[in-house]
Amino acid sequence: MKRIQALAILTFKEGIRDRALYGITIMAVMMLLATILLTNLFGHELGKVMVDLCLSTIAFAGLLLTFFVNINLMAKDIDKRTVYSVLSKPFSRTEYIMGKYFGLILLVFVSLFLLVVFSTGIIFIIKSADASLYFKDFSWICYFQAFAFQLMMFVLLNAVIIFFSSITSSSFLTLIFSLSVYVTGQSIEEVVSFFKKEALVYNITSPVNQFVVEYLQYVFPNLSAFDIKMFASHGKLISISHTLSLFGYSIVYSALLLFFASLIFNKRELK
Amino acid sequence: MKAGKSLLVFIFLLGVFVFFSGSLEKKRERLLMSNFVEYTIPSKLIVPASLEFKGLSSDFLLFKFMTYIGGKVAQKSNISDEQWTSLVSTLETITDLDPYFWDAYLFSEMFLAWGAGRIKEANQLLLKGTRYLPENYRLFYYLGFNYYYFLKDNKSASRYFMEAAKLPGCSSYVARLAARLSVYSFQHRDGIVFLQDMLKNTKDKSVRDQFEMRILTLEKMEFLEKKIDKYERIYRTYPNSLNDLVVSGLIDKIPEDPYGGKFMIMQNGRVYTTSNMLTKTE
Repeated sequence: MKRIQALAILTFKEGIRDRALYGITIMAVMMLLATILLTNLFGHELGKVMVDLCLSTIAFAGLLLTFFVNINLMAKDIDKRTVYSVLSKPFSRTEYIMGKYFGLILLVFVSLFLLVVFSTGIIFIIKSADASLYFKDFSWICYFQAFAFQLMMFVLLNAVIIFFSSITSSSFLTLIFSLSVYVTGQSIEEVVSFFKKEALVYNITSPVNQFVVEYLQYVFPNLSAFDIKMFASHGKLISISHTLSLFGYSIVYSALLLFFASLIFNKRELK
Repeated sequence: MKAGKSLLVFIFLLGVFVFFSGSLEKKRERLLMSNFVEYTIPSKLIVPASLEFKGLSSDFLLFKFMTYIGGKVAQKSNISDEQWTSLVSTLETITDLDPYFWDAYLFSEMFLAWGAGRIKEANQLLLKGTRYLPENYRLFYYLGFNYYYFLKDNKSASRYFMEAAKLPGCSSYVARLAARLSVYSFQHRDGIVFLQDMLKNTKDKSVRDQFEMRILTLEKMEFLEKKIDKYERIYRTYPNSLNDLVVSGLIDKIPEDPYGGKFMIMQNGRVYTTSNMLTKTE
């Protein structure tokens, strides 16, 4: 456990030295500042637009961080052969995978936490400048709930990255694969509902299609379930049981991915 | 020497840049004028393509809608039938992306019903809204109003007004309106109250200006009808034209329609305007 912790902190420290991280953070801060201007361009539901912009910025920053900084952090170890110096110590490969994973998660959590703190300041500024009637649906609890859901999405997405990094040593391939999983995960629900409803009505599907879609939906993570930005922007709170089951889903799915990743990584020959 | 050369190259490039960006701006202006919202990406495509940024996409489309209409109003130019059709599908897409987005439903009443006379489409959008915002009395109130004021279908109107009256926040005026619907025909006062309610939470100045002009017109029509009633009480007959009101000294002069039309009297003593409260087309 201590070794995993040490490696996680090492990974985190390596991550915060990455200049791309500063670039992403500066961009996100600029976008959050722009929210003040953009929100005021709207006529009625300013609260909704404000929450949309803030949460979308945070999500976007998290995605950039995951896809560009974290994937590099994983690939760099193998590319630059620093993985040997770690693995030559009394580290099992599974511990290596776990340590790396928690390091990446820590990096995402800390960065996004800073952004969410900054965004609360922005929200205070916007809210104080306009009449409260434009913000009657706004709720802090909903805002932070959507943020927590977003974090759980990154818990899962970073496990996807670890999984693909264990298969391939090319960071480019990891990027392509995990991006595909992200896009698929965001739209799989839509596709499934299309095949279950409209495709049947218009008779444009075959039993093979139905079969594939039916089972494929469990292979890919349903990432759209983590997107409750729309509900947060309208002040709709998600129930505790729903929240817990989603958090459980994220943790179990990530654990499975990490399990497979360590299986593969244990078998892999590092040249 | 070297510095001088670099400066020359810089000045040359800057000159070329200014030339190109100027000409590009002009070209873009022409392009944007011709097809800014004349295409709408269908919901089937834009909803999944927005990934987890559906709320943001809906904000963007609504903003595009607002700037388009605002631009047309500022230029006092006409929105063609085809363009209205695109605007309808823009609103449909916005409410597919975020079905809880109140602004889109409000705009369908403001612009489709009042601006374009597209009552059927406005009602469809409002009905969609009632599925997602069943606690919002305004959606039912707007529906009722459209049936009452534009479609002259008092039975449907009264049904929706009753629905609205049951919901929280709804003024007792709506219930009274529903009750007297079967007895009286429409009153301009109802239109004024309706528009004032619609403007209550509106921040946008150009929208406010537009609707305040409408309220002003309705107030003028209400004023004229009151004078016609007075005329009828005195002379036991309706005036043939508004000029009779001036001649009889009830009014100083015929008020002007802010929309550039003319106020006329119908045989039953009601007043209407030739502009139909639509901005004059050029």
